[in-house]
Amino acid sequence: MKILIVEDEKELCKSMVAYLKTENYHCDVANSFKEAMEKTESFDYDCILLDISLPDGNGLQVLKELKANRRTDGVIIISALDAMSDRIAGLNLGADDYLAKPFHLPELAARIASVIRRRRFDGNSTITLNELNIDTNAKIVTANGKPVDLTRTEYDLLLYLVTNKNRVVSKNAIAERISGDEAEVFNNFDVIYAHMKNLKKKLSGAGSTDYIKAVYGMGYKFEI
Amino acid sequence: MRLLNKTITAYFIFSAILLLIAIPVFYLALKKLMVQNVDEQLVTTKTLIIPQLTNNIMNHRETNMVYSGYEIHYEKKQGDNGTDSIYTNESTGPDPDHFSLNRILVSHFYINQEFYNLHITTSLVDKYALVKRIIWIIVFLLIVLLLGLLILNRVLTKRIWQPFYNTLSRLKNYRVDRQSVLKLEQSPVNEFDDLNHALETLTASSHQAYQGQKEFIENASHELQTPLAVFQSKLELLMQTKPLNEEQASLIADLAGASKRMSRLNKDLILLTKIDNDQFLEKESLSVKEILEKLIRQYEFQIKNRSIRFSFLDEQDIRVEANRTLIETMLSNLLSNAIRHNLPNGFIKITLFEKELTIQNSGRASSLDTQKLFRRFQKDSHDTESIGLGLEIVNKICTLYHYSIQYQFSNQMHIFSVKF
Repeated sequence: MKILIVEDEKELCKSMVAYLKTENYHCDVANSFKEAMEKTESFDYDCILLDISLPDGNGLQVLKELKANRRTDGVIIISALDAMSDRIAGLNLGADDYLAKPFHLPELAARIASVIRRRRFDGNSTITLNELNIDTNAKIVTANGKPVDLTRTEYDLLLYLVTNKNRVVSKNAIAERISGDEAEVFNNFDVIYAHMKNLKKKLSGAGSTDYIKAVYGMGYKFEI
Repeated sequence: MRLLNKTITAYFIFSAILLLIAIPVFYLALKKLMVQNVDEQLVTTKTLIIPQLTNNIMNHRETNMVYSGYEIHYEKKQGDNGTDSIYTNESTGPDPDHFSLNRILVSHFYINQEFYNLHITTSLVDKYALVKRIIWIIVFLLIVLLLGLLILNRVLTKRIWQPFYNTLSRLKNYRVDRQSVLKLEQSPVNEFDDLNHALETLTASSHQAYQGQKEFIENASHELQTPLAVFQSKLELLMQTKPLNEEQASLIADLAGASKRMSRLNKDLILLTKIDNDQFLEKESLSVKEILEKLIRQYEFQIKNRSIRFSFLDEQDIRVEANRTLIETMLSNLLSNAIRHNLPNGFIKITLFEKELTIQNSGRASSLDTQKLFRRFQKDSHDTESIGLGLEIVNKICTLYHYSIQYQFSNQMHIFSVKF
């Protein structure tokens, strides 16, 4: 999988590359508008992470060029929080998703995985991990062929951990994933705990190994 | 008291006192002058009448007579020669209406070795009536004069102070966050012109200071976003490092908590700045009831977790024409405050009725400081979840849409009500 990261803040680029590397993504980096144009003209990417405010141009222009050339690369707009208009403009121009800074790296990985899954043309939408099988189209989870009855939140949680497998996903990242804006208001770690407990119980009840580990109160990890 | 009334009252009091003192004094003086005049005439009459009387007596003609309005009366009298005297005689006849007031001159004269006593009487009633009439005319003139002066003064001061009142009303409507400078028209009066100039300078510099502060917050919160994003991402990478012991993990978790608080604070500051800059232009028709129901579903876990009894009386839905993000933020802040500052096993009661939303909740047993409530960073110091911008945001949104928000504490309940 090839990913292009268009972002002028070098430290943030390094973080993204370091995190995404473990998922076997091949990451290219463009720190400027010019570089971004060059890279997108020369290569096809599965997903492009596009920062709007670049020192030498507007990221939306890159998106416009891509769409004008009928390119099918997935695009996730990344921009400052206070630029609501960029978000709307980006989505109107055909971006697949939008992420505001500051974001959680597991969230970024999940968004990329989701964009790539949606753009996959071979129709294969299942994730298989040993005895676990997740059909992301039908949103059905089976363990050893037997269906596991999960609520929507539990399913989201499982998919989130699986797309970030073998990495610690912080409680804050999980909180934001499952409750969106509400996570802003409450430190609802007890909600996470409650959901996580149910999810683990249902998976082990279906005969699956206990892959989900709590990591020292820092977060959770799907270990395989 | 208004400035106009203040000067006019002083004039009025002075005039009234002057009238009250001057009129009696004038009356008495006039009366005295009148009596003096009568006395002089009596004496003149006496000198004129005595030769005539002598003639009459010699020729044995009528004894008493009336001489041009003077009643003359004389009689023979034994005794010595007295001095002349004048006195006023007040008498009421059998009829009480028949009141007579006379000035009488008593004198003596000799004819043929005989001693006569002479009384010359003149009525004062007519003269006093004249004095009274004069006084009334003067009182009337004085009152007309004073009233005229008062009215003239009022009209004049009003006209002179008009530029001042204009300035005052413009100043009252001045908003430092909306207008850059208070533009005031030229005044013909130097003092007012000076005042207007001073106000223009003052408002210009306050607006500049306000603008500077606003821009500072805007820039600071904008510039903070990138380092915050970097910080958070590095923290998440640090979480992946191995080996990681429990002590390190707990330090990282604490840092992640602090990082989250910083992001939230920054997000709220950005929101405030955007409200200040009128950047929420899109409006739509919203149902307050629907938004509240959605929020209640979102906070269901928190409400249950704290065993809060919850009631929602949606008798009349309120529809507003406003920005969705702002209304959602406002309601979310109010509702989450009611949950967060509640007691275990407490209650929350939400009522929608006649364009008014009321949120009542149990909480600490004393009123919040209403003076500081809606200000920035006024918060319960022992609450780590709160960052102190929630109510300021609510207040800003209410101000933007001209809703009125009120807080009161009664019957151990904290009550916030918003009138849409």
